[in-house]
Amino acid sequence: MATKLRYPTGVRALLVEEAARRRRIETRFIDVLERARFAEVVLPIIDYVEPYAELVAPEANRRSYRFVDREGDLVAIRSDFTPMLARALAPAMRPDELPLRLFYRGDVIRCEASRLGTNRELFQIGAEIVGDASVDADIEALRLAADLVREFNGRPTIIYNDVSIVSSLIARSPAVAGALASKRANGELPDDIRPTVKKLIAGEATIDDVAPFAPEAAARLKAIAGALDPDEFVLHLDDFEEAVGYYTGIRFRVYGKNLLARGGRYDGLYERFGTAAPAIGFTFNVDDLE
Amino acid sequence: MRLAIPKGRLQDRALGVFAAAGFDVPSEADLKTRKLVFQRGGIEWIFVKDCDVPVYVEHGAADAGIAGLDQILEHECTAYQPLELDFGRCRMMLIAAPGAPPLTKIATKYPRIARQFLDARGVHAEIVPLGGSVELAAVLELTSHVIDLVETGETVRVHKLVMQELVAEISPRLIVGKSAYRRKSKQMRELIARVEAVCHPERREGAVRAGGAQIDDGAPPAHTGPALTLGMTKER
Repeated sequence: MATKLRYPTGVRALLVEEAARRRRIETRFIDVLERARFAEVVLPIIDYVEPYAELVAPEANRRSYRFVDREGDLVAIRSDFTPMLARALAPAMRPDELPLRLFYRGDVIRCEASRLGTNRELFQIGAEIVGDASVDADIEALRLAADLVREFNGRPTIIYNDVSIVSSLIARSPAVAGALASKRANGELPDDIRPTVKKLIAGEATIDDVAPFAPEAAARLKAIAGALDPDEFVLHLDDFEEAVGYYTGIRFRVYGKNLLARGGRYDGLYERFGTAAPAIGFTFNVDDLE
Repeated sequence: MRLAIPKGRLQDRALGVFAAAGFDVPSEADLKTRKLVFQRGGIEWIFVKDCDVPVYVEHGAADAGIAGLDQILEHECTAYQPLELDFGRCRMMLIAAPGAPPLTKIATKYPRIARQFLDARGVHAEIVPLGGSVELAAVLELTSHVIDLVETGETVRVHKLVMQELVAEISPRLIVGKSAYRRKSKQMRELIARVEAVCHPERREGAVRAGGAQIDDGAPPAHTGPALTLGMTKER
C-alpha cells in the first residue's frame, strides 16, 4: 500500500507537457548531430556484468542495478553507454570504415549510494568519434559539444584537462592525488614536484610547467588551446578526479548555466573488447537542456 | 559568491575568520533577527545547521562554506577542503560504559562513519542512530558503546564513561564546491588565499597570490593533518 502513490527513489514519469518538451529538445539535438554526420546506434537496456568487470571500478559497479537473470547470469541495467558501445562495436568494425561518428540515446540508471545523491534515471544522448586518435578529433568533439550548448542554453563554457598530466605526477608520488583532491599542498610531496603541484593548486601553472612530466599530453593541449576560443574552452590543469575510469587523454565538462555534459578520450577501451581503436566522446543529460 | 556558515558551535569563530580576512560579514544586530540570508560586500551569507553545510556546498546551492570534518565525512561530501581552520578542533571517539562490555551496539549521530569504522575493523555490531545526547545511550545501557565528538572530555567524565579508541581527528575546514571551483576559479582561489593568510600566516602552502594576499615564502610547512579522502571517490 505504501508504494501505491509513489515511485522508487530517483525515477518519475513525464506527463504530457514534460514529455513533449523532452521530445522537442531530443529532436533538435539529433538534428545537430546528424548535420555533423553522426549516425545512430541502439544499445540494449541490460547487459552481462562480466565483460565489463575488469575495466569498471568497484565503486562504479555499485552504482548500477544488478540482478541475476533467468539463466543464472549476473546482469546490470545500463548505467554508462560508452563501454557498451565499445563492446558492441569492437567485434563488428572494419579498419577501412574508421573513423566512425556515432550517437546513441536512451536512459541510464545510476544508484548513487550517498545521502546527498539519489538514484537517478537519466535520459542521455551521447556522441563518439571512434578510430581517430588525432588532436583534430579532440577539437572536433569539443567544438561539437559547444555547438550543442549554443543550440539550447546559450553560451557554453567547457573546462578541460588531460588525465595523463596528473597521472604522470601521481606516478612520481601518490601524495599528489591527495593534494589535488583537497586542493591543499601537504607536507608529503617530494621536493622535486612540490613546486609544480603548488603552482597547479594556485592556478598559476602553464602547459610549459607540466610539459616535463607529460610531454605528449602537453603538446596536445597546446594544439587544442591554440585552436579554440579561450573564453569558451578553459584549460584547468589541476582538474582531477580520483576515479579516472577508462579515460586516457583529454577529459572535459560542458556547462551552460549548469553542468550539461561530460566527455573525454579513451584510447584503451576498445582493445579490451578485442579490437584496438582510439575514441573520444561526450554525453549530455537531455533534461538539463532548455 | 554564496558562503554557508554553520550555526551553533562554529558560527562566531567562522565569521571571525572571514572578518579578519577582510570580508564584510553580517553584524551581530543582523544575526539577532530571524533572517538566514544576508547580502554583505558582494557576498551572500547563508546560515544553516552545521550538518547541512556539506549538503549546500555539494549541490552547488552555496559556493563554499565552513564545515567540520565529522559532517564532511558523514555526508561523503566531495567538495575540496583546501584549508583546515585553527579552532574548534576535537576528536571523534569510541566511548563505552566502564568494564568494557563487548561491542554489540553503537549509538551515534554519525551512522555512516560508525559503519566505516566497524567495517575497517571487521567488527559486526548494530548501529543505533540518535539525534543528540548520545552518551546517555551508554549510561542507560541502550547500547554497549557510543561514537561521539569529544572536546574537553567533561561529558564523558561526568557520566563515568571510558574513552576506548580514536575514530578520527576532527577539525573545521573551508570547503569549496567542485563546480564553484571550476566555474568561479579566480574568486574561489582568492577566497582560499585570504582565509589562508588569516589561519596560516606562517604557511606558504598552496601560496595563492590572488587578491593581493602575499604569502611568505618561508620554510617548508608542517603537515596540516590527515588529508582524509574517505568517501571522496564519488564523481560529480
